[in-house]
Amino acid sequence: MTAARRGLGFGFWLSISWLIVISLAAIFAPWLPLKDPGENYIVAGARPPYGPSSTHWLGTDQDARDVFARTIFGARTSLVIGFGAISFGIILGGTLGVLSGYFRGWTDRIASIVMLILLSFPGLILAILITALLDRGLATIAITLGILGVAPVGRLARASTLVFAERDFVTAARAIGSSNRRIIVRELLPNVVIPMAALSLLGMAIAIVAEGGLAFLGLSVDEGVTWGKLILLGAGTRDLERAPWISFGPISMLFLTVLALNYAGDRLRDYFDVKDITL
Amino acid sequence: MLSYVAQRLALAVCLLLAVSALTFSGMNLLGDPLVNILGPIAADTENPKSIALIEAAEAEYHLDKSLPERYVRWLGDLVRGDLGVQFSSTGEPPVSNIIKERAPRTAVLLVMAQSLAVLISIPWALLAASRARRPADRISTVTSFLLIALPNFALAVILKYLLAIKLGWFPITYTANDPFLSRIYQTFLPALTIALPAAAVYQRLLRTDLITTLQEDFILMARAKGVSKWKVLLRHALRPSFFSFITVFGINTGALIGGSLVVETIFRIPGLGTTIVEAIIRDDFPVVLAVVMIATSVFVLVNVLVDILYSFLDPRVKR
Amino acid sequence: MSQTQASLRGGPEPLVSVRGLRTLFATERGLVRAVDGVDLNIHKGRSLGIVGESGCGKTVLSRSIMGLLPSTAHREGSVRYKGQELVGKSVGSMRRFWGQEMSMVFQNPMVSLNPVMRIGEQIAEPLRIHLGMSRSDARDTALQLLEEVRIPEPKRRLRQYAHELSGGMRQRVVIAIALSCGPAILFADEPTTALDVTVQSQILDLIAERRQDRNMAVVLVTHDLGVVAGHTDEIAVMYAGKIVERAPTNELFANVKMPYTRSLLRSIPRLDDDPHTRLHAISGRPPDLIDPPSGCRFAPRCAYAREKCHVEAPPLQPTENPDHVYACWYPVGSAEFVEREEELVATGVHVRGRQ
Repeated sequence: MTAARRGLGFGFWLSISWLIVISLAAIFAPWLPLKDPGENYIVAGARPPYGPSSTHWLGTDQDARDVFARTIFGARTSLVIGFGAISFGIILGGTLGVLSGYFRGWTDRIASIVMLILLSFPGLILAILITALLDRGLATIAITLGILGVAPVGRLARASTLVFAERDFVTAARAIGSSNRRIIVRELLPNVVIPMAALSLLGMAIAIVAEGGLAFLGLSVDEGVTWGKLILLGAGTRDLERAPWISFGPISMLFLTVLALNYAGDRLRDYFDVKDITL
Repeated sequence: MLSYVAQRLALAVCLLLAVSALTFSGMNLLGDPLVNILGPIAADTENPKSIALIEAAEAEYHLDKSLPERYVRWLGDLVRGDLGVQFSSTGEPPVSNIIKERAPRTAVLLVMAQSLAVLISIPWALLAASRARRPADRISTVTSFLLIALPNFALAVILKYLLAIKLGWFPITYTANDPFLSRIYQTFLPALTIALPAAAVYQRLLRTDLITTLQEDFILMARAKGVSKWKVLLRHALRPSFFSFITVFGINTGALIGGSLVVETIFRIPGLGTTIVEAIIRDDFPVVLAVVMIATSVFVLVNVLVDILYSFLDPRVKR
Repeated sequence: MSQTQASLRGGPEPLVSVRGLRTLFATERGLVRAVDGVDLNIHKGRSLGIVGESGCGKTVLSRSIMGLLPSTAHREGSVRYKGQELVGKSVGSMRRFWGQEMSMVFQNPMVSLNPVMRIGEQIAEPLRIHLGMSRSDARDTALQLLEEVRIPEPKRRLRQYAHELSGGMRQRVVIAIALSCGPAILFADEPTTALDVTVQSQILDLIAERRQDRNMAVVLVTHDLGVVAGHTDEIAVMYAGKIVERAPTNELFANVKMPYTRSLLRSIPRLDDDPHTRLHAISGRPPDLIDPPSGCRFAPRCAYAREKCHVEAPPLQPTENPDHVYACWYPVGSAEFVEREEELVATGVHVRGRQ
């Protein structure tokens, strides 16, 4: 058994720092000294898009809107979707998994079948299907992406629960007459939490990326700006030729965030030596 | 052995039934089937022509019958190859025609992508494993991590920018009427976009398994027989290390199907991906249903095939 | 010339002569001196046993002689095979020797055979690499080899996989592979440890038989003195990376000198012991190979050690029999030894007469 390495590592804390920074920037965006994301900063005599400069750090888009500001505001929606998705996924998937692993029997069988069916859908297809049937509001999108995560999260939660439920401290708790609810909450959950934390970081990365994919298909949220939508706006051939910064600005932001989430999630997983996470 | 195959196939069929039932019910319950079939015409209850169409549709689709019955009828049609008609221009052309035209392009894209991914990942993994923990391996690890983290649409944009626009090595668009070979050439860049992250995933797994296998005694024994380093890697280490690779290969097909949707849109390939996107925007549900069923069937079948293949390849598995 | 060299001179020119061999491993905690100055001769057609506890360096020694070490290992000293110096040769040039001039049989046949390759293929491999045989020739030779190692139904076995054979049969296959190109030396590293007791002697007999037939040198590495007792011409006892006693087999059992060796002999349970006789075990653990104790390395655990033992390491010196050397200041039979033995018997630590 590998001894836990010294701490989680510099990279881990760097990633966490970035995530905190970007989250704070997203939360406080309206109060930060940014350009107005909706306003057109047309300069007389020059046709937009304008390249990066000291006034526009990441340049402007075709309508002379500041890319940097839009990217930060895009973070708001993207991060909310990511967070919402993984929360939903963990709450629903986690509950299903824990109950399934703890009670076994019919609960387990039914839950497993549900998860198996969910897993039979190729990911994006399921998301597209649901958003096609329902509306495309922020909540719907977040929940849809969350549904994608229910099966993997559920599987992990179930596996972790199965492992821990066999252990002596659970039997001991039962021996002194703890109710099932107590056992689940006080004995099992704390142990299941760590793999879930790692999973939530990784899952959030996937949700943000998935939203970007939906945006590229034109199927993301109707209202508001997300990173995916921003990247799409700059992805036309002509725009890439003349003004690559329109896309590359949000691409960088997205990439750094997803990278940070992935790295932090990986390190957490390695550190606590969790084996069953496959997304 | 036959019973194992039969078991897996039976399971696959059950899953597909469940999937189709869910999708069908979802579509019929969450939307007005009439609207789904006829589109805006369904609301037009004034126009006598529309009314006639509405009644025709109701008769054709048995909308007076219960949901389960409608499902069974639909399933019957499906099995016979009748995917229904595309709506809105009522009856114009049947969904199966569209599928027949567009599906091959997606198929080519996916096959190319998976092939590229395998071709790239195996040598990559061999190299990384043979230089484990040394600088070359570390660079390789970082690279694959970055590739996996980067969303595929972002990678598509980057590759398009670098290889098509800046360097001009590949064409930017796909033209459906071009001769076969040039279409293959046009599909290369989109396939590469899908293949690179997949290759990174496969490579990472294969490398880890290779490194584990290389610790085994039979590798030392092979060296003690005088087998050269590369032969040891290829003939002795590779085969036992393949198993996680194969499993992930199958599971990953699902992700690739999703990825191909996005890539098709970016590179404007008229395949199933663009089909379903257009259909959703137009609320064209028979088409959506058909594409979902195809994609899911392919996914489930690939996984079943991988399971069966696995049992053939590992002589230790009792069949 | 030193006494060591004199003792090694006896007999015809050796096949392999090892002088001052050291093998060091670079680890995070420091340099591990797994083999720390070994002199040996291996003669054609004769069987040498290398014996010691786990961790004494005997496996590393056999691999060091062969040169089959990981890249973290560093060898010093000299290993001459048929006059050629092997230390310093690159892996590429050593490949010629492996499988062809020198072969090795490993401990656990389940993991020494490739689980996903057919047996026949694995036997044929060295034949095709070293002897350039065609596929069909190699197959025929493989068949002959399987017969040579007494595997029943050899034709069928060729197409089977490792997991379809029993442990004993697998080890026979491993031996067949080792013998395939007619090596001059066979290294057998704990060849029977992973096998059932009944199978053990079969395998050892097989090796002995093959040795005679082919006039091959055999080096038997084991912790089990019972194994070497009947199957070796000469035994070298290793402790903490050094050879502490070396003698022809019968001589060693009859006239053991070094207390460590004596303890090893005494720890073999005997059929004619009384029931409930306590098993004799050597207390303590082998020393740290990164920072070995000064003086005799066995001294901390030796019941007969005196002050000199802790300070100065004894050299290998011969007995009346020049082929028997040992490294001990107060060997079995010496005055000091007898004196200490009396004390130990008096205090009840040792039981008189167990030899």
